[in-house]
This record gives sequence, C-alpha cells and structure tokens, in this order.
Amino acid sequence: MIRHTRMPGRVAQDGSSVSAARRHLGRRIGCALIVAAAGVTLGLSVHHGLQTTTTLLRPRAIRQSVVADRQEECIYRAIRSDLPKGAAVYITDQVHIQRLAELSTLWAVPQPTRASARWTIALVPDSSHDPGAHLRWRCYGLALEVQHT
Amino acid sequence: MTELLVVIVGLGAPGFLLALAVTGASPVLVFLAPLIGAGLAAIAAVLELGVGGSLLAWYVVVAVIANVAVVALWLARVRFPTPADPPWDWSILTLAVVLVALIIPLRALRAELIGWDANSIWLTHALMVSGGHHALVTGLKNPVYLFSNPDYPPLVPAAGALAFALFGRGDLHIAPGTTVLLNACALGVVGTGIAALANGARELTRLGAIAAAGAICLVGFAVAAEFGVNGYTDLLWAAAAVGAVIWGLVLPRSTQALVIAWICAGVATLTKNEGLTTGLALLVLIALRYRPLTLSWVRRLRRRSAGQRFPDVAAWPVTREWAERAAFVVVPALPGLVWAGLIHLLGIGDNFFKSPSPETLVLRAHATIDGMAVHLAVAPVAAAVLVAGCCFLRRDRERARFGTPAWLWLSCLASLLTIFATYVFGGYEIHGWLTYSVNRTTIFAQLLLYAELAIWLVIALDAAFADDRAEQRNATPAAVWLAGGPRS
Repeated sequence: MIRHTRMPGRVAQDGSSVSAARRHLGRRIGCALIVAAAGVTLGLSVHHGLQTTTTLLRPRAIRQSVVADRQEECIYRAIRSDLPKGAAVYITDQVHIQRLAELSTLWAVPQPTRASARWTIALVPDSSHDPGAHLRWRCYGLALEVQHT
Repeated sequence: MTELLVVIVGLGAPGFLLALAVTGASPVLVFLAPLIGAGLAAIAAVLELGVGGSLLAWYVVVAVIANVAVVALWLARVRFPTPADPPWDWSILTLAVVLVALIIPLRALRAELIGWDANSIWLTHALMVSGGHHALVTGLKNPVYLFSNPDYPPLVPAAGALAFALFGRGDLHIAPGTTVLLNACALGVVGTGIAALANGARELTRLGAIAAAGAICLVGFAVAAEFGVNGYTDLLWAAAAVGAVIWGLVLPRSTQALVIAWICAGVATLTKNEGLTTGLALLVLIALRYRPLTLSWVRRLRRRSAGQRFPDVAAWPVTREWAERAAFVVVPALPGLVWAGLIHLLGIGDNFFKSPSPETLVLRAHATIDGMAVHLAVAPVAAAVLVAGCCFLRRDRERARFGTPAWLWLSCLASLLTIFATYVFGGYEIHGWLTYSVNRTTIFAQLLLYAELAIWLVIALDAAFADDRAEQRNATPAAVWLAGGPRS
C-alpha cells in the first residue's frame, strides 16, 4: 500500500521515524531503569560497608581487639620464654588447643599424644594456682601453665 | 602501618617490571604489581616445599629470573601489544578515586583485628613457611595442625613470611595486615577493570565508570564485612577471581586483558582451595572465549564416518587449537596445581572430607540452599538488570565488544555449584559449618553480581548520554582503546 501513495517516501519515513522514536523512548526508559536499579543497589551496599567500618572503629571495639591482640602476643612470648626451643609439648587444654599449637609454631613441637611429649602446656585463668605449675606469664586474664613430664 | 606499606612496596617492587610490561602506564599497574609479587612469593613457597631451602632464597631466585626474562624480552624488542595508554589525567583520576575508596575501609586496620582463621590457619602457615623446608614439611604433616587445613595454598602464608623476613617475628600482626592490603590490591584490579569499560568514551560515561569503580571497591569490603580487614583470605581469592572475570570475560579481547586475567586467576588458585577450583573454571571459560570452539572437528568426524581420509596436515590446526586451549588453562594455574600435587604426594589431607556425615544428602542440600540464598539477595536485582539490559542494551554491549553476560553468569554458577557440592558432600555438621563459613564462601558470587550491576550501569550511562549520531557508531570506545586505536 505504501508504494502506491503519492509520497511514498515521506509516509515510509514518517512511519519509521515514529517507530524509531518509540525504540528510542524504550531505550531511554530501559537505561533509566538499569541506572536506577544498579545505582541504588550499589549505593545501599556502599552505605552498609561504611556502617561496618564505623562499627569496627568504635572505641569499645578497638579496645576489645587490642586486648585480644596483646593477649595473643603475650602467650606467644610466654611459650618462647618458658619452654626450650624444640620442646616436644602436649597441649592438655582442649579449649585453647588451636591457639597454643599455632603460637608454638617454630618454637615448640606439639605432639598428638602425651606419651611422646616432654612438656605439657595449657592456658588457665590467671587467678588459679597449681603448686606444681610454672606460672610466670599472666596475659590479660589467662596464664600459661607449663609442666615438665 | 608504615611497616605494612613497606611490605606492600616490597612485594610490588619485584612485580613492577612484569606489571609494567603487561599493563603499560595504566592505573591497574599499581594494584597488579603487589599481586604479582605475592604470586612470585607463592611460587617460591612451592619450591621451598618441593625442593628444599628457604622462602627468601627462592623468592630472590624467582624474582630475578622473572625480571631478567622481562628485560631480555624488552631488549629483544618483544612487546606485549598493549593498548594506547589512557590519557594521564583520566588515569590519575581513576587511580585517586580507587585509592580513596580502598583507604576508607582500610582505616579499620587501626583496630588491629585478627580473626580466628587468620590466626589458626594463615598465621600458623606463615610461621611454618618462614621456618624453611623442614619446619614447613613437618608442620604441615603434624596431625596436631590438622585444624589449620594444611592443604591450603601458599600465597598468603608466603606473603606473611616475607613480612616476617623484613621485620622479624616480633609483631605477629604484620602477616594478617599484609593480607588485608593484598585484599585491597585485588579489589583495585576489579575497580580499574570497571573504569576501563569506559576508556575512550565520552566524559560523562567515564565519570560514571570511575564512580562505579570506586563503588565496587567499597562494595567488596562491604560484602566481606569484618573478614575483609581481619586477615581472612576469602576476599582476596574472590576479588582476584572477579578481576579475572572482568578482564578476561567482559572487557574486549586483547593480549593485555588476557594476561591480566591470567594473573588474577593465578592469584585466586594460589590463595584458597575454593579459589583453585573457581580459578580453574574461569581459566577454562577464558580459554573458550579466546579460542572459541568450532565445528571443524564435527565435520572431520562426519567425513571420517563417510570413509574419507584426510591428510595429517588437516588435523594439525585442530590439535593446535586444543593444545592452545589446554595451555591457556594449565600455564596460569601451574603453581597452584603443583602445590596441590605436592600436598597429595606428601599425604597431607584436608579436613573437610575426612569422615562421612551422619546427615542425609537431602538435609545437607536443603540447609545449604537456605544458607547460601540468604547471602545472595543481590541475585534477583542482578537478574532483573540482566533481562532489562538484554532487552534494551544488547546491541550496545555487542558494539562495545564486551563479552556476553553468559560468561559472567556461568562463572558465578560454576563457583556456587562447587561450594554447594563441598557443603553437601563434606563431613562437618552442616548447620554449624554454614553458620561460620557461608557468608565468606559466597563473597565471590556476591561481588561478581555487584560487578555485573556496575557493568550494565556503565553501558546504560553510555547509551543514555549518546546522541543519535553516536548511537550509529560501529565500535565503542573501550574496544577501540583496547585494540590500540585513537583516543577520544
């Protein structure tokens, strides 16, 4: 039909321009939707991240982590001070077994059984006192108990 | 803090020439160099375990060989076909925004946090690696240390051991601090990748891309929460793997993007076991993107079944293609694979599959799906944006020569399926295991989906700012830039 009109070129051009305008509008709406959805989602996550950082930097949180950090370093030094290098140790304290094994690394050699060990170590509350135990290091509420077997 | 900066510069220095050869004067150089340095340290740790000696000696050997090789190639005038460097003012702006976005969460380093795994796994392994071959082998084989997952790859312990070599073992915090800075470097590679999507584009699009680059760095730390700043390594492998996806599977194909993707995937494979499996999957996808499968072998089979003989020469290109694909996967993953092989040879096992679980597979699968879904809340939004993007902006993406979004979603699915299978077939009590780990094992998928949002955001901004004439252009700026074409 369009071929038989008096001005086929113009009609076709108008038709395609309407369709192009619609396509253009659709694209614009699509772009706006994508920008809005992606922007808001990224923005919310950024906000959440900033809140997390603020929480981690609260004075109380910093104090807690500093105490934990210093306790760790104190136990690390206690092991190096109270045990000879290369000592075969058995960790009797099942609560802190990972911590003591980790902090013994490169100094003492943790043993899987008591039979192969020359020393036993444990972390105890620093108020406790076992007369046979060697309690020289007190580390923020904990003390390293070392016994020669 | 000064010590940490010295460590990161110390890691970056041996990797600088290699990074420069690959990236040219692009902002990604700043973040890639320390990752390359850490990768070299990991290779040194592999040699320490497999051959003997100390980490420091091997690190010097590996770093010297790598740098001499780069200088030799340079003297022989062999150059990576790097694209034209982006204009320096845009590079500086990108670098500044990404650095600021990384420094904001890094302020948490002031709190000196050390997480549980940072102590029990990574610090323990760093001490073992710094003790030399004998200490490393006996430590990893000691059954008391089974809790530390002795099969985990060596990149983070090696970087920590180098920090101990520089500053002694008096301050234990320096090893987890180094991990935090490596996390930031990996996110920097992701951020500069997002910014590179708009290289050469109009100014408003570039500004939008740089803002998205800063946002994705902040999002990385947001997704990881405290695990990004307390010495855990999940963010490191996840961000490195996302970097591999963006440079290898999204940005237009180029030698530069390919090598950066390989380095990122290599870092992921050397960081954690999840990183090894995900990195291998990504390398396969990258190989398939750069050396697409063709139907020539099907045609050959048909001809053979029809009784036709071919000359041997005809088989050669097909064999060469498959050899190239295999090399694309194996070469970047080689250090990680060698470490896994050595661990297997030494009889060091992982802790996850030691004992069978009394729970049924159905119960474990159900719990795993529930646990993972909680941390994938971004997935529906990313899927909706994908659908909208494919409807309205598919041609823009094709013109930009960006990889199809299928690559990114396949990467995400591959990683999630691997982690799902680990939970379902593992031996730990499932609910407790999920409680303390699923928020970390899904960091890759979460960050990747946020990166997908950022990618569509940049494409949509470019389309929105485009005038009618620009809409008719044949190739987009990022493709022209990566092909070494003119700058706008």
